[in-house]
Amino acid sequence: MIDLIYKIGHFLLITVFATALGLLFMGIARKIIARIQKRYGPPVYQPYLDVLKLFGKDAITHGFIFDFGAVMALGGVIATLFFIPLGSWQLYSMEGTVLLVIYLLAVASLGMAMGTVGSGNPQASIGISRALTQMLGYELPFLVILFSLIFRYQTSSIWGLMQAQAGSFLNWNLFAYPMMALVAFVVLIGMMGKKPFDAMIAPSEIGSGPVVESGGKYLGMLLLQKSITIIIELALYVNLFLGGADNIFSFSFKMLIVWILATMFGSLFPRFRIEDGVKFFWKWPLGIAILQALYIII
Amino acid sequence: MLTKYIFVPAAAAFAAYILNKKNKKAGATITALVSAYLLLSLALIYGSWELNQSFNLSLMGYQLEFLMALTPLSWLFAVLTSAISLLIAVFSIDSQADFKFSSVFNLNFLLVIGSIMGVLFARDFLTLFIFWELMTWTSFYLISSGKKKMAGRAAYRYLILSAAAAYSFLMAVIFIFQQTGSFAFEPAAEFLLNNSAPQSILLLLAISLPFWVKAGIFPLHVWVKDAHGNAPKEFSPFLSGMLLKVGFYGLIVVFHQLSFFKIIENTIAYRGLPLLSYLFALLGAVTIITGTILAIRQEDMKKLIAYSSISQMGYIIIGIAIATPLGFSGSMLHLMNHLIFKSTIFLALAAVIYRTGTTKMYEVGGLIFRMPLTFAAYLTAIIALAGIPPTNGFISKWVIYQALIEKGYLFLALAAFFGSIASFMYVFKPLSTVFLGQLKPQHQEIKEVPLLMKIPMLILIGVIVLFGVFPGIQMNIISQISGDLGIETVNYSLYSIQGAFGAWNSLYIFNVFAAGFVIALLVFGLAKKSKLVGLLDTYSSGEYVTDAESYHYAYQYYRPFDRLFDNLAAKSLTGFYETLTANLLKSGESFRRIFAAGRVQNYALYSVLLFVILAAVGWII
Repeated sequence: MIDLIYKIGHFLLITVFATALGLLFMGIARKIIARIQKRYGPPVYQPYLDVLKLFGKDAITHGFIFDFGAVMALGGVIATLFFIPLGSWQLYSMEGTVLLVIYLLAVASLGMAMGTVGSGNPQASIGISRALTQMLGYELPFLVILFSLIFRYQTSSIWGLMQAQAGSFLNWNLFAYPMMALVAFVVLIGMMGKKPFDAMIAPSEIGSGPVVESGGKYLGMLLLQKSITIIIELALYVNLFLGGADNIFSFSFKMLIVWILATMFGSLFPRFRIEDGVKFFWKWPLGIAILQALYIII
Repeated sequence: MLTKYIFVPAAAAFAAYILNKKNKKAGATITALVSAYLLLSLALIYGSWELNQSFNLSLMGYQLEFLMALTPLSWLFAVLTSAISLLIAVFSIDSQADFKFSSVFNLNFLLVIGSIMGVLFARDFLTLFIFWELMTWTSFYLISSGKKKMAGRAAYRYLILSAAAAYSFLMAVIFIFQQTGSFAFEPAAEFLLNNSAPQSILLLLAISLPFWVKAGIFPLHVWVKDAHGNAPKEFSPFLSGMLLKVGFYGLIVVFHQLSFFKIIENTIAYRGLPLLSYLFALLGAVTIITGTILAIRQEDMKKLIAYSSISQMGYIIIGIAIATPLGFSGSMLHLMNHLIFKSTIFLALAAVIYRTGTTKMYEVGGLIFRMPLTFAAYLTAIIALAGIPPTNGFISKWVIYQALIEKGYLFLALAAFFGSIASFMYVFKPLSTVFLGQLKPQHQEIKEVPLLMKIPMLILIGVIVLFGVFPGIQMNIISQISGDLGIETVNYSLYSIQGAFGAWNSLYIFNVFAAGFVIALLVFGLAKKSKLVGLLDTYSSGEYVTDAESYHYAYQYYRPFDRLFDNLAAKSLTGFYETLTANLLKSGESFRRIFAAGRVQNYALYSVLLFVILAAVGWII
């Protein structure tokens, strides 16, 4: 019983922490982009206010699939979160193989896609069709990288891959396999839907695509989902390439560094057309990833 | 008593034919009852792997022996066949009115079931060949009985490919018979092992050709799309779920029981895998990529799923070809799981077609509010197909990935990753265009399908989740099969499988999932209640939206992606085969003009020439 209560408490703690951190990161990103564009920008805590405001507002729904999609999107990422080691915090992370995490993330994407397309707005459908196309673009190089890492370290658990880089910081995959880390960084930008790869949300073109019909608590839930997704993806990168961390503070710090860099890179490039984005991913990141993988398996 | 599995369906087939003339529902009911009977009696003989039966026949001085036996492999396939035909028969009871010739459908369906049983229990080439041909012909009639205009042509293509492959099978078998004097598997395997390796390999390739065709592996996949797309909607689940798999049964027999893998064991190898096996796996990889790219382009829901079947067959052949313990188990798991989720998808689409009468995805939309159960079946099945936990489809793909990474087969893994991620794209297309989006005005009055159609879909949903949480049930029979074939078994328990780099534990996954959803539900439930508005009441950038029909994004859903592959898709393999046929016909025509133009003078000339040649040859000798 005590064990169960402890576990539930742990569950909630991790969820709340990841959400709060993700929202903070979003605020930081808005500030950075504003400064790059010579604006003052909103305060760093603006996303918290946004979430509070959104949950207080009236919302419209387009039927049960719209509701179900929002729940599935948030539930999916929360479930995924427990399989990722966050510094020393790890509930089920010993069980979490890296392939599992990739597919678990898809649950949330599917939920979001289903809910938004269920609204009946064609702009949402267009956004989703673009998002899925782009996903095929960035997942391929990423999976090839995972292939190389798993083959190299003979383990597919994220915890094991993190442990394999223990010792000096020179053991980090960032320094051991810099090309791979670079490819993964580009993939990360694509995964998070940051600037060159944001054709699926394209606010001025298709009315923010997937979220076009979401308002009130639906947008709030998607915002929470987005914040947790950011943390999952950053945590994955930190665990795989920056050697993870012993405690949650240095882990968060590493995530912050990666996040700031990704934001800065993102704000420098104009948007890719969707097929050009896929072509780019298959040309450079995938090419380099395959070369690296060949180097490792031979 | 293995013959009863063949003769009961065969006898019932004619009974069904006659009774169905009286009552439209009798045929399907008999099919369901017979399948249930087969399933039950198969369950009773589980484990008695020493069952066998033989007949002797003296024909024109030859002693012919017909052998049948029960192996774990054939037991599994037999169970899958009877289970899926039971579900399909129950589903089709209410849709008999859709058939042009419903009696003939039931006759042929039962004959297909019986002949598959014959193929599965056969232990000699002659029995195998007879039932294989019977299966091909009866399924040919089933495919061609589809309502579409193209059905006949599609079935014809299927038949031609199957027949050509069957001739190669027959020639190789007769060659072996001349050497060994027996059609049975064991002497043949022994002969092939001791024979010179190149000849044995050639013979076995010839023998395996019909199985490659049936399994729909590149470059012999050309029949699959049209056959699936045009077959009667009730037969498509069986065609994709079971008939393709019988090809894999044959391949496993050739590879293991006829010792193909033993023969090529010591040939040139790549990363510890004989080159020929690697080539087979590469064919699987090409199959995955071709099937996937073509599936994404399709506008016809059945053809889209048919292409997806092609690509999923690629996974199975990869696992069988690399033949590691993990690879084989993954393949067998995927084979079963594909049967389950693909039949579910085809049944759900059959329900849609039953109600709307169209297979074009852009002609329907928004059916979720009218057919929620069909939607649930489709959704569960595609989650499994896309390989998302906690469903059965993830486990099998996960095991296959482990097998590929274990050996470092980069390019096979790349194809497998591609097929898996891209499957999100093609399974989402019907979800989005058929079930979600705007409901067409002419479909406002549509109702959910009748109860007898709901039951099979509900059962299949249950099975998908069951095997997603307890893969040990499947691993139990698979480990017996691999034991029987001499492959090491993988460690497993009821809810976990030990991979090469870590274990899969479905119970944890399930718990965590439940926790995540509870939290999300709490967040959702505690927030303010929302107001329900119609589907047309959406943000449209200031445009007036008047009709639902033009407000539905469905046609060419992935146009940007398709643009990348326009050039490749234009050079389709079907086109290549058609050009080949045309050229053959043309050259045949020119031969005819030279040799048989109908002029007596020519024939006279030929006979004189022949005489001169013969005389010259005789003189030289």
